[in-house]
Amino acid sequence: MWDFIVERRDDIIFNTYQHASLVAQAVLLATVIAVLLAVVVVRVPALAGVANVVSAIGLTLPAFALIGLLLPLTSIGVVTGFVAVTFYAILPILRNAVVGLQQVDETLLESARGMGMGQLASLWRVRIPLAWPVILAGIRTSTQMSMGIAAIAAYVKGPGLGDYIFAGLVRIGGANAVNYAVVGTVGIILVALVADALLLLLGRASISKGIRAA
Amino acid sequence: MSTDLSKTPDTTTGTTTEASISGAEIVLDEVVKQYPGQKVPAVQSLSLTIPAGEIVMFIGPSGCGKTTSLKMINRLIEPTSGTIRIGGDDVAKQSDNELRRQIGYVIQGGSLFPHMTVAKNIAIVPKMLGWKRQRIDERIDELLDLVSLDPGKYRDRYPRELSGGQQQRVGVARGLAADPPVILMDEPFGAVDPITRQRLQDELLSIQRELRKTIVCVTHDIDEAVKLGDRILILQEGAKIAQYDSPEVVLGAPANEFVEDFVGSGSSLKQLSLTRVRDVDLIHPTTATVGESVAEVKRRAEANGDTSVIILDQRGRPRGWPWLRQLKGDTVVEPTEDLVDVDLASTLNDALDTMLSSSHGGAIVTGDRDQYVGVVNFDAVTDHIRAIEEKARD
Amino acid sequence: MTDLADPPQETVARHEPLDGPGEAVPERGARSRLDRSTLLMLVVPPILVAIVFAGYVWWRQTADLDGVEQSQLAWDSTWSALWRHVELTLAASALVVVIAVPLGILLTRGRARLLSPLVVGIANIGQAAPAVGLIVLLAMWRGYGFWTAVIALVLYGVLPVLRNTITGLQGVDPTLVEAGRGLGMSNGAVLLKVELPLAVPVIMSGVRTALVLVVGTATLATFVGAGGLGAIIDTGITLYRFRVMVAGAVLVALLALLIEWLGRLLELLTRPKGL
Repeated sequence: MWDFIVERRDDIIFNTYQHASLVAQAVLLATVIAVLLAVVVVRVPALAGVANVVSAIGLTLPAFALIGLLLPLTSIGVVTGFVAVTFYAILPILRNAVVGLQQVDETLLESARGMGMGQLASLWRVRIPLAWPVILAGIRTSTQMSMGIAAIAAYVKGPGLGDYIFAGLVRIGGANAVNYAVVGTVGIILVALVADALLLLLGRASISKGIRAA
Repeated sequence: MSTDLSKTPDTTTGTTTEASISGAEIVLDEVVKQYPGQKVPAVQSLSLTIPAGEIVMFIGPSGCGKTTSLKMINRLIEPTSGTIRIGGDDVAKQSDNELRRQIGYVIQGGSLFPHMTVAKNIAIVPKMLGWKRQRIDERIDELLDLVSLDPGKYRDRYPRELSGGQQQRVGVARGLAADPPVILMDEPFGAVDPITRQRLQDELLSIQRELRKTIVCVTHDIDEAVKLGDRILILQEGAKIAQYDSPEVVLGAPANEFVEDFVGSGSSLKQLSLTRVRDVDLIHPTTATVGESVAEVKRRAEANGDTSVIILDQRGRPRGWPWLRQLKGDTVVEPTEDLVDVDLASTLNDALDTMLSSSHGGAIVTGDRDQYVGVVNFDAVTDHIRAIEEKARD
Repeated sequence: MTDLADPPQETVARHEPLDGPGEAVPERGARSRLDRSTLLMLVVPPILVAIVFAGYVWWRQTADLDGVEQSQLAWDSTWSALWRHVELTLAASALVVVIAVPLGILLTRGRARLLSPLVVGIANIGQAAPAVGLIVLLAMWRGYGFWTAVIALVLYGVLPVLRNTITGLQGVDPTLVEAGRGLGMSNGAVLLKVELPLAVPVIMSGVRTALVLVVGTATLATFVGAGGLGAIIDTGITLYRFRVMVAGAVLVALLALLIEWLGRLLELLTRPKGL
């Protein structure tokens, strides 16, 4: 096992980086999309129920099925993986962002308006910062989930450590099969744990001391 | 005060310091607010002149439209018809956000943004107005000092690290931040305990003596209205004016049965709410300044026949009221007790409350910026009641 | 002094209608039996599934399919793949409940409760493991086949039920437990008559989460020769036949929706009356 890792370390590092980078970019895009959607949903209360249903149905859709649905549109390769991961990553963030934005005290918003803050300023300086801890919790869930979906996307040549798992699968019974699968699986677990730790740190840095849980 | 207001009686009960008026006159002209789907307008044609530099209290039963009327002034609620002018300018002709930046807005509990420090909360409007950083910083310290919070200690705190009363003080500071001529307050002191409320009211009066803003304040507490208001606007359902006059007139000569019911029946005790501490004779017991020799202070007190002394800090603010036997050591140290005092503008009613909870049978009186002025005692109150009764008998 | 005037105590602002559309704040996290979005989630999915499935049948009967597509999407093989998928899901979910609920109960009793943060922590880290990796590794250890897939699905589905069983039981008001004891109930009786019934809603929500995870992950069972609807997608990808892979994906999605809906129904039906 050790020899296997040492021998292929450049490739492993490259795939680890690819995996992390795919998830990071997808989650970043998903955050932007989800928060924008949540802002719209919160402004039009009738949409809140719709958002809930869409989000629940979306999360029910198996990842492998979404990949099957996407392939005719995006063909084999990175794009399919990226779109699939982004799609799933949006859902938990959207759900949390809607709850978080709704939770902001009405009187604070009126007070912002009363001081002459415009809608955008009030959103950016009051509503989003106050909802941020809840949004960030959604981002953590999304990131965890995205790690596994990125692994499945490797089946259609999405980049990353999933390649190692499928390399192990096709070699079953042969040399190095276990090594491939273990490196892929454990590698993804490690990337996931590091990402979660980084998000926790981001939380400490970005959540105002005034609203952070003690 | 401009002459066209002379039809309303002059109500200022002889302010101690005559600062120049920095407020602006507000005129409401046949203002109507009708909500869609409602048969009867929430506000039916309200016309009103709020003189520059005065505090006007809006009061009335639930649903009378007082809050709606207040919020139409800064266009948080848009009137259906009618005009509102501040300092002669029609508010409808200005951009709503820019208008609101020129009008202070203070609501219950302070409504501070929990994710911003005290300094950032106060800086919001000045920042939007594009003030320079240094000017904002100076302004924050100035305002915190004005609302009796030590800037060094409080500017970087978050709202949750403050008591309710402190949060409310910061709320007032935030409303004053850009030095607006007009300040709107919506039940500003509704969320704090009675003692803190009394203190905050006193502070507001003392701030107002210095600044002379135009303050419009909604309240549901008639005592608060009497205490703070230069004028009281009593509204009936539909924001119909039941009476708009000075507290003395509202209490002494209610315009109709509605007002009478609303303010409660008159009695000599009630009259205590009309008299300010500054209108009665104060006594002047022995005082001591922090750092003085204890022996010297004791000698002075005994010469005066006092068994207790009032301790002032270097800036002349009262800090404690110990008995002589409690003075220990060589020099007078700053006491740590939580001293409750009353403002010159407090009502005798408040003063009596404070006296009753004091073991000295009196209440320390302070003026501008918390400066010590003297002590009001039970004798002053009973003398005053006697005078009123004699007057009533004549 | 205080009888001066009794001002109306309630604040006006709340009674006055405020203009602007944003004022009707929707119920947040209302735990009433049937709030709006619960109702939507009970009604929308079955209708959606029925419509899309009808569309699929119509397409399958009328589309001009070539020989490979015809054989891959033949009705009898579709049904057997579907049935296999259901078998995998139900077997794994049943095992999950049988394992996770007693384990959760155990971890809230006596000294074992000290272990529960540790176990949940480990399970959380386990959740970060990619499902594909888990299935492939198990296949290497245990060989291809139905039960290998089931074990992987169980490993994956245990966490939500375990976690919710523990939080559900810990969330029971201790005074109620004490009251049960005070009535002379034994530990077992308190568990069965007081604690479990009160924890059921939380546990069942964990079961629904597990069902969704398991039915979705079961699409990967095809990689270890355990069949299921994933096989149709897989064949479509391997042969690069868009129609086959999309057909497989649609069928899996429909099944997943239906299972999720069943989970919701179960959640509602098992909720003790009065909660």
